[in-house]
Amino acid sequence: METPIPELGRFAEPALLILVSLSDGPKHGYAIMTDVEAGTGRPMGPGTLYAALARLEERGLIEALTPVDRRRPYRLTGVGATVLAEQLRDLSEFASAGLRRLGQASR
Amino acid sequence: MSHLLLALYPASWRTRYGEEFELILADRPLGPFDVADVLLGALDAHLHLRGLGAASQHAKGFAMSLRIGGWAAIAGGPLWFLGLAGASADANDGPGPWSGVMVAGTAALLVALTGLSAFQARRYPRLTWAAFALPAIGIVVSAIGAVAMAVVGDRPFLGDLSPWYVWMSGTITMFVGSGLFAVATWRTPTLSRRAAGLLAVSSVAVFAAVPAMTGLFAAPDAVITALFVVAMAAFVGGWIALGTSALRIDRSISSTLQGAN
Repeated sequence: METPIPELGRFAEPALLILVSLSDGPKHGYAIMTDVEAGTGRPMGPGTLYAALARLEERGLIEALTPVDRRRPYRLTGVGATVLAEQLRDLSEFASAGLRRLGQASR
Repeated sequence: MSHLLLALYPASWRTRYGEEFELILADRPLGPFDVADVLLGALDAHLHLRGLGAASQHAKGFAMSLRIGGWAAIAGGPLWFLGLAGASADANDGPGPWSGVMVAGTAALLVALTGLSAFQARRYPRLTWAAFALPAIGIVVSAIGAVAMAVVGDRPFLGDLSPWYVWMSGTITMFVGSGLFAVATWRTPTLSRRAAGLLAVSSVAVFAAVPAMTGLFAAPDAVITALFVVAMAAFVGGWIALGTSALRIDRSISSTLQGAN
């Protein structure tokens, strides 16, 4: 399996969650935090959120839009959407392989 | 409290993210988890900004290879085809301007192949550079043949080999190798997959036409001609589409880098 979102180290998982959150349209920071929390049941702190956002922006996977009421929305770039799709496919293959092994082991 | 936490971040980070970050801190009551998370975030921002200069240079290098490779791909395919069509139509057998156009197109394709492979290799280095080797060899051999045709005409060079034979061998290798490059592009999938599909079509068409052309099996002339027309159109269209998608990605990376500076 590929390393999720390459070169992001310990921010790889938050970055993946952010990309998934942005996959249905642009969101500003607070909306991403609440969306991730609703989706995973775990809170994402503001320090972690902005560390991951900065890295994703540097790598061209997301881009900042014009601020609305001082809140700046972010959206996926074409590269970001491609990278996300590939990471999700890899994770899906990894999960399928794991489930197959589990099924074989329990027989 | 939020002012104090924000002040822990580096000034350049605050300039870029400070306003929206402060709004987030104001949006929710800060618990011990949030405070610890922000403290770690501030420490990370200080450490990360030190490495940002190097990362920025890295990204600029990728953007540059995309830009050069993209423009070379857009120019190379049509130039190569124009040179080939012009040289074929030229009644004069001697060295002519069309040979120069074809060599220029071939050189541009090599630049395109190198630039785009350098970009794609960041994800799948072994696959990318393996897929680079065959078309690159084909392009170089084809260029040598084209230059030799312009310089020595039909006379043999490199032992008994005629310049035309060298050029044709290189060109067929270039087309077939473009199919491998298309596979790497499809697998990577950052550049256009539609463009990769066109290159694959051109490769398959040449692969099918050559045995018929050399008499390995019988096929009507119309079929061979149709295969070559498909190969040429897909080859030129594929490189233009690859170049266009590379420039689109370059614009996205460059605007992000400008926003970060």
